[in-house]
Amino acid sequence: MEGVFNQPEFAPCPACGVPLQVEVFPALFREIRSGGSGEAIMVEGESSCFYHPQKKAVLPCDGCGRFLCALCDCPLNGRHFCPACLETGQTKGKIKNLENQRTLYDGIALALAVYPMIIFYFTIFTAPMALFVAIRYWKAPQSILRRTKIRFVAAIIISLLQIAGWITLFVFLATRHGTHV
Amino acid sequence: MEPMSEIHYQRLTRARARSTFAVAFQSRASLWLGPDHLLCVDSSGYSETYKRFYFRDIQAVTMQESKRRTVWNVILAVPVVVCLAGLLTSLSSPPKNTAVVIVWLICSVIFLAPFLINNIFGTTCVCHLRTAVQIEELPSLCRVRKTRRVLEKIRSLIIAAQGGELSAEAVSTRMRDWAAPSAGVSPAGTVVNDPNLPPGPVS
Repeated sequence: MEGVFNQPEFAPCPACGVPLQVEVFPALFREIRSGGSGEAIMVEGESSCFYHPQKKAVLPCDGCGRFLCALCDCPLNGRHFCPACLETGQTKGKIKNLENQRTLYDGIALALAVYPMIIFYFTIFTAPMALFVAIRYWKAPQSILRRTKIRFVAAIIISLLQIAGWITLFVFLATRHGTHV
Repeated sequence: MEPMSEIHYQRLTRARARSTFAVAFQSRASLWLGPDHLLCVDSSGYSETYKRFYFRDIQAVTMQESKRRTVWNVILAVPVVVCLAGLLTSLSSPPKNTAVVIVWLICSVIFLAPFLINNIFGTTCVCHLRTAVQIEELPSLCRVRKTRRVLEKIRSLIIAAQGGELSAEAVSTRMRDWAAPSAGVSPAGTVVNDPNLPPGPVS
């Protein structure tokens, strides 16, 4: 197996013979540090952890300022958070590096505007929906990656055209019905 | 808790479906380069899921040659041959029918284009990234040439983050050090009967 590590070209896997190239980095041999368990308070009046009053506080949370013991300390990119702030930061997207999902409202608005055109009658419902989504979520966080608002703009234009088309159709039918009466 | 500033990512690969035959209704994965991490983005068009791999945590990147290119070549070769044969026959037969020639030409292009693209992009592969807690497939790294280009780009960043490079010999030595005690082989070469260890050959 040793012949396949950090080689410039493929080498056959000694087990199955499949061409394989493995790039190994020092982290593979790094010892995994075990987390601290928190030191018990020995002296009365010593600062204690907010979550474990019997344990000694070692630092404050960078999010809420609560005192934390070594067990509750969650380091992230040089900052220290308590588990509650970490969860809040992830669910509410306040800590960018923890955010693992985003809804693409511009994609939803555009899909609502475009796909129903296959069966045109649906657009009577979907065009206002697309318009609503585009306006309601115009300022909502988009993708983490750079993305313009072109989809929102396209959704608004297409849905407005569809709404205008339906209004024209209804007005035309109403006036035609009126002249017949 | 103040929000961290927006991170600017550099695209490493284009989005690619996780499954080979998936075209629509399937999330597409792409790879992006951040200041201190790789970002794998799975996008369905309506939502995105992010996975971050910090350079300091990346233990290994494995690239395994796959047969996907050969499979697609076989799948596409049959219609390509049929269409080209049809085109040549329609061109060589005396009463030339332009409509038939155009139909065969369009069919040939439809099958020939992906056939050529499949071969131009080169050998296919399956790429995995390993950290201490996961082994993640990177579906967007599916061609050897592209994977090597991306590896060239990120290798120096990973080495800088981890503070050193490992030569092939150094890896071999460390692997041997690792394997010797875990294989349950005593210094004398006798197998230790440890019920928690898999059976291993005595070297």
